[in-house]
Amino acid sequence: MGLPLLNRRPDSGLGNIRRSGGDPSRNIDWTMLATVGILAIIGVFAIYSATFWKVAGDPYWFTLRQVLFLIVAIVVVVAVMAFDYTFLNERAFFLYGCSLVALVLVLAVGALRGGARLSFDLGPILFQPAEFAKPAVVIVLAAYFSELREETVSYSKFIGGLVLVGVPAVLIILQPDLGSAFVIIIGALAILLMAGARLRYLALISLLTVMTVAAAVVAGIVDRYQLRRIEAFLNQNSDDENLKNLVLQVRFAKRAVATGGWWGKGYLDGPLTNGKFIPVQQSDFIFSAIAEQFGLIGGAIVLILFALLLFRIWRVANLSKDVFGTYLCTGIFGIILWHAFQNIGMTMGIMPVTGVPLPFVSYGGSSLVAFAIMIGLVESVHMRRLR
Amino acid sequence: MKSERRQSRLGVIGVIGAVLFSVLGLRMWFLQVVDAPNLELKVQANKTRTVRLLPERGRIFDREGRILADNERVLSITIDWNVMRDSTDRAELFARLAPVLDVSITEMEDRYAGPIGADGRRSGSRYSPLLPMPVKEGVGEDVALYLIERNEDFPGVDVSAGWNRQYPYAPLAAHVVGYLGAITKEEASQYRDLGYDLNERVGQFGVEKIYEPYLRGTPGYVKYEVDSRGAILDEIERVEPVAGNDLQLALDLDIQQYAEQALETQLRLRRFVETCQAKDENKLPVKPQFPECQNLKAPAGSVVVMNHSNGEVIALASYPTFDNRWFNSGISGDKFAQIFPKVDDPDKSILVNRAIQGQYNLGSSFKPFVAYAALDAGQLPGGVAYKYFDQGSYTLTSIDEDTCQVVKCVFRNALCGGGNSPCFYGVVTVEDALAVSSDTFFYKIGEQIFSERGGQPILQEEVRKFGFGSKTGIDLPYESAGRVPDKDSKRQLVEDGVLMEGESPNYLVGDNVQLSVGQGLLAATPIQLAQSYGALANGGAVVRPLVAIALLAPGTPDAAIAGVADLSKSEVVLKLNTTNTIRKIELPTEYRDAIVRGLQRVITGPGVDSDRYHATTGERLFASYPYEVLPIAGKTGTAQGAASLPWNDSSAFAAFSLDPNQPYTVSAYLEKSGYGSKAAAPVTKCVFMALANAVKTPAVVPSDPLDLTSTLVAPDRSLPSNRCLGGAAYGGRD
Repeated sequence: MGLPLLNRRPDSGLGNIRRSGGDPSRNIDWTMLATVGILAIIGVFAIYSATFWKVAGDPYWFTLRQVLFLIVAIVVVVAVMAFDYTFLNERAFFLYGCSLVALVLVLAVGALRGGARLSFDLGPILFQPAEFAKPAVVIVLAAYFSELREETVSYSKFIGGLVLVGVPAVLIILQPDLGSAFVIIIGALAILLMAGARLRYLALISLLTVMTVAAAVVAGIVDRYQLRRIEAFLNQNSDDENLKNLVLQVRFAKRAVATGGWWGKGYLDGPLTNGKFIPVQQSDFIFSAIAEQFGLIGGAIVLILFALLLFRIWRVANLSKDVFGTYLCTGIFGIILWHAFQNIGMTMGIMPVTGVPLPFVSYGGSSLVAFAIMIGLVESVHMRRLR
Repeated sequence: MKSERRQSRLGVIGVIGAVLFSVLGLRMWFLQVVDAPNLELKVQANKTRTVRLLPERGRIFDREGRILADNERVLSITIDWNVMRDSTDRAELFARLAPVLDVSITEMEDRYAGPIGADGRRSGSRYSPLLPMPVKEGVGEDVALYLIERNEDFPGVDVSAGWNRQYPYAPLAAHVVGYLGAITKEEASQYRDLGYDLNERVGQFGVEKIYEPYLRGTPGYVKYEVDSRGAILDEIERVEPVAGNDLQLALDLDIQQYAEQALETQLRLRRFVETCQAKDENKLPVKPQFPECQNLKAPAGSVVVMNHSNGEVIALASYPTFDNRWFNSGISGDKFAQIFPKVDDPDKSILVNRAIQGQYNLGSSFKPFVAYAALDAGQLPGGVAYKYFDQGSYTLTSIDEDTCQVVKCVFRNALCGGGNSPCFYGVVTVEDALAVSSDTFFYKIGEQIFSERGGQPILQEEVRKFGFGSKTGIDLPYESAGRVPDKDSKRQLVEDGVLMEGESPNYLVGDNVQLSVGQGLLAATPIQLAQSYGALANGGAVVRPLVAIALLAPGTPDAAIAGVADLSKSEVVLKLNTTNTIRKIELPTEYRDAIVRGLQRVITGPGVDSDRYHATTGERLFASYPYEVLPIAGKTGTAQGAASLPWNDSSAFAAFSLDPNQPYTVSAYLEKSGYGSKAAAPVTKCVFMALANAVKTPAVVPSDPLDLTSTLVAPDRSLPSNRCLGGAAYGGRD
């Protein structure tokens, strides 16, 4: 990185040296923020189109809450950006510990709904600790591996990393929320890959994941309903009565995407989106609402925006002044990439249905704030790359 | 980050991302271009299914806009049948829903498959397989939101909005407003032809029933495309429902409430009154097989307040009354049977509107029409100037003495002054005869109008002009026509075995004599009594009584006061109170004046002087009535009941205003409550005092919520002050 002074570009203005070229506030990646902003705005419109009929007498019920969540998210992004991410390097384990405590607590006293304890019921909002475990695990792994001097990961170091990701992953599987557990594992895999883990380590993690899930299934922690989702995914044209709703759910979503045409059926003119056919469309199946109403073009724009966002994150990973920043960005890259792929993929029937939201677009406060933290971290790395 | 190897690893990660995104892009393109035709094909092969959207029922207001029938939006939680097919899934879903909805799993299973019958099998669900199964009705907005938000945990669970009928002022005017109920088996085909869903609730009583087609509105529908298994794929067509018309009634709730209170208060008071049989010369009861004395039962009654110029019914009370909210309260069948017991005793019937369904002898309150008949038929030589010498009894002249050994030939006036001799009124005119209620005067008419005219039904035809014997046509269901007895109807009664054993099937002169004083086989409803007195009041127009004034466009807004609609913002779709005159009776002023003067003297006196002063039947009672504020004329009537025992006397009274600006006619009928002057007349007096603003009527306020733990059919009500009922009553039967 070299001495910061030598990298300094000439100051603009007349003798004003208070703001240098290396000043973090002059190095914000506006492209990334704009991309996220556009995705969020698309999300608000899509949520309205999928929910305006849901709450009698209040068409804006979901939309208004999402806007409120967005305002909170903006505050969070700004707050995290203002923070020097290297500060987190020392406090990574503290954050991680807090996150583990929340995960344990939610298993004990979380709101039980549908046989699962995913969240704390805080009156008007549901707080999902699994969402916040995602950035926490990325931070702790980045800090853990950035201590490394070597270019490759030793076996003992790998085992340490495995424990760091394994504990929260198992806690989340116990909830049970397989989708979020996978997201964390994918993020960890990305960091491990970046840190130079051998391929067989990565294979071991994958194997352990499969075994843990299998054990959870056998132990009866994962209920039949979640398993049916996978069964339904494998038999998308099944006539089995038990799978019917799951099959139909995906079929409706696929139809919504398929029948959109080039330009879509028009805003609020999507008979599937506006006709109560796709359950939880505002969160899990939001992409189908966009694709039905705005067609191939609209869907492609969302894909391109995500590709752009991921490219910018990838770019920051490359530009980071230190390894910690690179790992952070890599982990976040992996998490957002997996979210987008998993969510859009299940909408189009190439991934099984899990409750993984589409970042920034789907309805939901916890995930929005968690992603805001992640974007804030990436921005923080970008802003401080020159110092 | 300076490291060649890291750079290349980052490149690998970037490539993975690019590959995944390419997959997504390709898949989207594939779905649209390659797969879309397949998915569309599935659509065309599908069938359609129509789901009905029920309209909001029209609301019902009193004449001031007070909301008698309202609708409350209720949210129901439903479950798609498909998600319940699998018993494990169903058990899991029910277990999750139970704590949220506070419905037991047993209850949900009962709804799913019907309750377990005696044979241990379930009887099958009572819900339509085409619509999602309702699992709980009337949940709060918060519960509905909770379930909507957590849809992924409650697959197939949905919220549907419906309407629940509310009666904010219940039990006020319950018999008029009526209630909704399920479509009965007998009505099924009729309603199906009208396009009803058989699980709809329809008006079953009161204006809810009679204006059902207007109140209901027009249902809409959504047409869905469904796959071969009936799962919804797409919405094809949607027609929104049109709300039903609102209905403005003529009722004035202030008067309605006061009339109901006065009626109920008076009936309760009458139950404390002991009546005793007349005694023979040995001071023994005339009818030794019955107890000597007994309290009045005063079980039931009704009051009608009608505007006699246009027929608007201002109040219509019937007791015993009921709270019409019971029909919407969701109570169990057992509890319902407890509140509305099936009884054979007509005194206890609740779900009957006595004002229009009660068929009664009218007693002397029928006399004005007999007087008119005699005058109009020329039965009285000299007309209104005709004088009759009332000696207290009348002996039939058309029957020879031998026959008189077998049948009753001597008819007496009521007993006078507590003694055992019938009243002796001396020389009386028609006017006097009405004022003091001379029976013999009318016995004579009853006999001669029959015997001197060859048994022709002259009297019958004359009184039928006033509406007796035919329905008034009031806009309420189940109205009775009543009966003016004649040859045919008597024969019919004998054939039906309604009359006593040994009764002749022929219509005899005695029957006509009984009819002339409103006894015997005469049957009339209190609404007919009001209608006929109204015709005397307005100069001969028989008007059709109407409970409803106007049909309003749907959606009359609420006023600032709770429970009241803003009628100034309503739009009248159809005026109902326009041409209401059924017929115009030839009523010469001379006749009318004589009759009305007689009835007016009932209220104000004077009576007649003969052996002593005989007051009119209402003179003393109405001494405390503010006659100068609202002048009225009326007539008492006491209808004799079974075995002519005093505790079986029913009390009738009808009166009309003489002020053309306040054209009200009031009739009251209190069953088994004693003399007309003692039970019904005070109630009428109270109502007229309310109409004259001479008493303060209590404010009408929306009632408290129905107490579901209670088993009272309606709460007890009473007048805030009994004073208007008071006043020295006439001492004799009239």
